[in-house]
Amino acid sequence: MGWYNKRLAKSIWVFHISASPCNNCDIEILDLLTPRYDIERFGIKLVGSVRHADVLLVSGIINQKVGPIVKKVYDQAPKPCFVVGVGSCPASGCCFKDSYNKSKNIKDIIPIDLYIPGCPPKPENMIEGVVKLVEVLNA
Amino acid sequence: MPKNEFFETMGDKVGHTIEKKLRYYFEVKNEDLHEVINYIFNNMGCRLSTATATEIYRGIEVLYHFSHDKTGTYYCPRIIMKDKEKPQMNSITPIVRGAEWIEREMAEMFGIDFIGHPRKEPLLTRNNPTVEKLPLRLRRVS
Amino acid sequence: MSMVNNVPIGPYHPLLEEAEYFNIVVDGETVVDIDMDIGWMHRGHEFISEQKSFTQSIYLVERICGICSTSHPLACVHAIEDIDNVEIPERAAYIRSLVGELERIHSHLLWFGLAGHFIGYDTVWMWAWKYREPILQMFEIISGNRNHYGMMRVGGVARDIDLARIPEMMETLDMVDEKMNMIAKVANDDPVLKSRLKGVGVLTHKDAVDLCANGPTARASGVNTDVRQDEPNDAYGWLDFNVPVLHNGDVYDKFVVRVLEVIESTKICRQCLEKLKTVKGPILNNVKHISPGEGIGRYEAPRGEVFHFIKSDGTNRPIRHKVRAPSFANIPTYVASCKGIPLADALITLASVDPCYCCTERSLKVVDKNRDPYKIDLLKLSREKTQDIRSEYHV
Repeated sequence: MGWYNKRLAKSIWVFHISASPCNNCDIEILDLLTPRYDIERFGIKLVGSVRHADVLLVSGIINQKVGPIVKKVYDQAPKPCFVVGVGSCPASGCCFKDSYNKSKNIKDIIPIDLYIPGCPPKPENMIEGVVKLVEVLNA
Repeated sequence: MPKNEFFETMGDKVGHTIEKKLRYYFEVKNEDLHEVINYIFNNMGCRLSTATATEIYRGIEVLYHFSHDKTGTYYCPRIIMKDKEKPQMNSITPIVRGAEWIEREMAEMFGIDFIGHPRKEPLLTRNNPTVEKLPLRLRRVS
Repeated sequence: MSMVNNVPIGPYHPLLEEAEYFNIVVDGETVVDIDMDIGWMHRGHEFISEQKSFTQSIYLVERICGICSTSHPLACVHAIEDIDNVEIPERAAYIRSLVGELERIHSHLLWFGLAGHFIGYDTVWMWAWKYREPILQMFEIISGNRNHYGMMRVGGVARDIDLARIPEMMETLDMVDEKMNMIAKVANDDPVLKSRLKGVGVLTHKDAVDLCANGPTARASGVNTDVRQDEPNDAYGWLDFNVPVLHNGDVYDKFVVRVLEVIESTKICRQCLEKLKTVKGPILNNVKHISPGEGIGRYEAPRGEVFHFIKSDGTNRPIRHKVRAPSFANIPTYVASCKGIPLADALITLASVDPCYCCTERSLKVVDKNRDPYKIDLLKLSREKTQDIRSEYHV
């Protein structure tokens, strides 16, 4: 699917799933749309429906109530689709790893391809993550 | 007994009291709870901030936190339930409407039965059967 | 009476919100009742906090909410300091108040953006968030991070302010003042905004008192409650500021209260920065031991009163840490303010309380007994209503 990936990399449509975050990563993702960072000039935009998405952004520890819903959303996304975990929460649980409400294993719910660590990751970090994704797609 | 109009009116309905700067923590029995809360909320015009439940050695205690905004003082009535298996006490939701969610959360985390509460359903773990029951209780090794 | 079914609302809208499950009962086009299902963000803070030390708890509570991420640590340190009546140095008090007020400015600007987006003024969204960026840069100068500052410690603050950067901070505050005055003028002059927001989603004074609302939600309904004036902690006792209180309780008043609060906050920040140029001294009173006891701490967050209760037994861990975020008391006011409003206004009413997770639109499947089920997009309804009003005014 090399040719498909190259087409994809020219204009990525992103869908954001917030699965029990503290909302900070989410606000930083939205900051990318605002005039200072303005990611729309690269053709990247946030879409409202998962069926239009090329890349899924996941933030937050996925707690037990949201887990089945995230799985349902991932199944609805048209494949191939890449999943990016934003923030330290999907990567390692951050400070919530001892919580009783955390899902036991995130990899069973949604397989993550790219991690952008940070609490929250700065918008420049997120743009670098996107650039890495585009390079991988172009390779 | 602190020198205060509230304590003088309540008399011996109020038990052991801890008095600190701008804070009063006092014990109240379950039977007198409605009368004390009615006085604090309606006569004194205090606002309910929240309520805390803790499991202590003697049983389960519930501490309500009422804020008297004009002076910045907190009045905190404390109710202690000796039965740890089935703790029960009167609900204050008929008097203070804002206590509905607060008591639902305490019932869910500690298993307290509030008599007279209009809607006894879990709040944060509703529709979520995978989470363990009564998560904030101490885990005992039996 | 038609019943409404719900479809789970994931964070489907780009304006990231937490999943929020609303059950709205409608009669024709009017909302009759509303019920909420929460718990999508429940992570078990109180459980984790009992296993961490006091300083680790301060780090943990920052991550309860990303927008009000200084309010929770401030209330937490007030609670720990309340157990032993710990005094903090004067310089630390001014730094704490400065960080708290800057956070109020950035949070209200964020809310203006969302409110503009919900009623269809997307330019307001882009502009409000553009003017928010210099504030986040100020935070980076003061604490090293745009959010989640890690500044609070028991007995003071963790970092000091570099005096050489104060002039550029004053310039940023001047810029915010100018833009806020522009928004205030717009709110006053624009007839479309007034007829869209006035009289919508009214929360009466009696309901605000019964449901124990706090923050701008209560102040817009005439309840004069503000932690900064009721129990002046930190530097608030030494500063000169007003607390705006309005009386109608509708969405327009909630909007105006926030505009006035931002203008007051810039006043407070300027006073703090002036004082920091001259006040000298330590920034931390190193507390080695907290005695057994109970402590209550609170702080006026942008959304209301944040309340923390800590019980300590003489060791370095809290044995009980209770957290009450302001939205917990403000969200139940929906049942009072959403009765009788048209469905197109539901979205802006739900957002006017500024819940710490923003409410989702794109909700529901509205099911009418007589018709087939159809989907309703609340955001679209809200924006269409604004378009209709604009065409009436020939704008």
